[in-house]
Amino acid sequence: MSTSAHDRTARERWVRGGIWLAVAVVLLVLPTQFPEFRVEQFCSWMALAVAACGLNVLTGYNGQISVGHGALYGVGAYTTAILITKAGWPMLAAAVAAAVVCFVVGVVIGLPALRIKGLYLALVTLAVATLFPLVIEQFPGLTGGSNGLAITSPRLYRGVVRDKPIVFEPAFGLAGDQWKYYLFLAATVVCFLLARNLVHSRMGRSLVAIRDNETAAEVSGVPVATVKILTFGISSALAGVGGAIFALNNARVNPSSFTIVVSIYLLVAVVTGGAASIVGPAIGAVLFGVFTDVVSPSLPARYQPATPVILGVLLIVLMLTAPGGIVGIAQSLRTRATARRLRSSSEGTTGPATAA
Amino acid sequence: MSLLSVRGLRAGYGLVEVLFGIDLEVDEGELVVVLGSNGAGKTTTLRAVSGMIEAQGEILFDGQRMNGKRPDQFLAAGIAHVPQGRGTITDLTVEENLRIGAWTRKDGEVAADIDRWYETFPRLGERREQLAGSMSGGEQQMLAIARAFMSRPRLLLLDEPSLGLAPLVTAEVVDRLRSVTAETGAAVLLVEQNADLALGFAGRAYVLEAGTIALSGAAADLKGDEQVRRAYLGF
Amino acid sequence: MNNFLQVLVVGIGDGAVYAMLGLGLVVIYRSTGLLNFAQGELAMFSTFITWTIWEVGVPLPLAVLGGMVGGFLVGALLHQVAVRPLGDPHLRPLATVIVTIGLFLAVNGAAQLIWGTLDKDFPKLFGEGQITLGGVAIAWQKIGAVLVLALMVLGFWFLFQRTKIGLAMRAVASNSESSALVGVPVPRLLMLGWGLAAAVGTVAGVFTAPGLGLGSNLMQLTLIFGFAAITLGGFDSPLGAVVGGMVVGIMTSVLPQYLPIFSKMRLAPAFLLILLVLLFRPQGLFGRKQVERV
Repeated sequence: MSTSAHDRTARERWVRGGIWLAVAVVLLVLPTQFPEFRVEQFCSWMALAVAACGLNVLTGYNGQISVGHGALYGVGAYTTAILITKAGWPMLAAAVAAAVVCFVVGVVIGLPALRIKGLYLALVTLAVATLFPLVIEQFPGLTGGSNGLAITSPRLYRGVVRDKPIVFEPAFGLAGDQWKYYLFLAATVVCFLLARNLVHSRMGRSLVAIRDNETAAEVSGVPVATVKILTFGISSALAGVGGAIFALNNARVNPSSFTIVVSIYLLVAVVTGGAASIVGPAIGAVLFGVFTDVVSPSLPARYQPATPVILGVLLIVLMLTAPGGIVGIAQSLRTRATARRLRSSSEGTTGPATAA
Repeated sequence: MSLLSVRGLRAGYGLVEVLFGIDLEVDEGELVVVLGSNGAGKTTTLRAVSGMIEAQGEILFDGQRMNGKRPDQFLAAGIAHVPQGRGTITDLTVEENLRIGAWTRKDGEVAADIDRWYETFPRLGERREQLAGSMSGGEQQMLAIARAFMSRPRLLLLDEPSLGLAPLVTAEVVDRLRSVTAETGAAVLLVEQNADLALGFAGRAYVLEAGTIALSGAAADLKGDEQVRRAYLGF
Repeated sequence: MNNFLQVLVVGIGDGAVYAMLGLGLVVIYRSTGLLNFAQGELAMFSTFITWTIWEVGVPLPLAVLGGMVGGFLVGALLHQVAVRPLGDPHLRPLATVIVTIGLFLAVNGAAQLIWGTLDKDFPKLFGEGQITLGGVAIAWQKIGAVLVLALMVLGFWFLFQRTKIGLAMRAVASNSESSALVGVPVPRLLMLGWGLAAAVGTVAGVFTAPGLGLGSNLMQLTLIFGFAAITLGGFDSPLGAVVGGMVVGIMTSVLPQYLPIFSKMRLAPAFLLILLVLLFRPQGLFGRKQVERV
């Protein structure tokens, strides 16, 4: 019995390691196999994945529902764009600043969220998401208004210093888009690792405790208010980093890129991938990206709106049948397979306690 | 033949089983009580007998097999249920509660019936336009009973009417209930923790312990038996 | 002063439309306890149905009735397939939000699939005319909106206070378990509530479309105004929806006159209203149920 359990965990570890290795290889090889426009699309999937990862920390792990993370994504993108274009900041510094600004904004939003919960918090954040593009349009001097803002930096061009759209120069023998891809990949991996460490930490356990039963968490000594506000801040900072990647990738920002629909798509990514699992939002973001950038453009223009219909129906079906999303489905399949293997190997001597 | 006959009743919630094979009978017009402590399965028994939850075993009402039927079919057969915590519809007025109690009736005597209940429970008559939620616990309990009788049941299931009521108020409610049943001829299956009260009301009693019937008999016998009182009834 | 009155009139007309959408939201909140984020999209969809019927030559008032019937059927159907299997919304708030958001996406996309992505011109139900009273021009369309709202309120009052079905709907909203115990068919009444809310939303869409152009994003701003209205009035109060709708309509129309910063952000005061009411008086002006709070 004990040896078979030991074998199982060892085998599982190998399988897991193998899967991760394969994923890493694919991620590294990807930009060398696809044309530039595809690589840029992959970059935009990463932007979405990081923002979804942030939303997941808040909604999946902490149970605070936000339908407004598209706005925070937008704050991150606009902070990056404005700092580079108007203040001449270097890209990396601007991206870090975007995270900090979003953290602060998140904490500010988190304060009323201490009193407003559940469906009502969803309502408030929905209003924030709807309001955001209008606010951007209200201040054209800073944001470029409804025309959007090209992200430029002063550069020497034909002997004169001019504001030119930012580009990623080829470096280390990589084409510009590939170099950009690897930079964003590194940032994405760092964000996901940070989120992973966060949810596995003491604070991560508090997050889940608050989600599952706030009163019980409170009486067990979890500083509920602090944890909830911090979670809002961290989640928003991640959304901000996602927005920064989005802005740097496109070299321009538009209010129309940050409508309520983006907030909804972030939720789609979290829920289809698997809320309250670290890789879930990444899987969801890739799935969403494949849908919008590969499947949808291949349809005749007449039928392209089928994408939101499919995503909407998928969302509902998943919520009603498999709230754990794709990760949840995979886990239950694995549990079932393990249970079957145990049953057949021990010929009925294994009780349900071991199988579970 | 009994009005209600339950054989080998098993029920629970999800994976948790609460009842492990219960047999009980209620005759036409009979007052029966099920006693037991918290968690013994009293409420679950009533919920199974009114079709609110699925149950295994056999539920016969008036010779008709009720298993698998919907709550409104239980109601139509003549079983009315006053749930724990009274279940008055607090945002409706007293009169509206009584009218909704007659939802399944197609006859034209609803208004006359309502007036009759106002006579039986004058306190309700005085408060017919008042919201049920603004009344006292005792008044709400009477309203809940009157509402259940609006469907003209042959069996009333009553879940812990004494819960949260002062002893004097409880005594009044039970008093009224006795006269109402005498008048309508309805049988009552009452579940209670307050054994003293319940044994004074009912003719026959079952003692439920951890999902099985530990004891049954005439109420007077159970009340009188010193050993039973100490072991099961705690008074 | 005249200018103020003029803006006030516009605000009341807008407010009537917010109140209509708000009434639908209240019906759903009262019966199923959920905030329906897809309500605006349902209204948009049935406004398209109205447009289609009108396009083939049916007079507009009849087309609106047809659109309401269509909206009723769509709303009832969506409740049966997507919302009913959820169970109690307050026990599973995330799932509830996700399902209504999924409906939002699906209905929006479906409208684009069926009617294309170009905005359609939509006629005014009460024509282009206006009357002038003391120097203030009042469009018939605005007067019509207020009259239709009054009719709707009357209709709802009659349904809920004077009919057996309405009584049962109120009973279900208050205590669905006890209602089931007296034999009320709870799921069917909830379905009816969704259908009614969608039918009412049709009218809100019909009044919104002439100004904005009928497109798939028709109701996204109106939805927030509608939510602001019922947040202020109280999520479970039809009277609150009407009063709240008027306040929101007047506020978003008058404020930009004096504070130009709100001219493009008419939504901002509505947002602030939602936030402040939820923070300091979550039951709103006329609501009774306690909104979840720490």
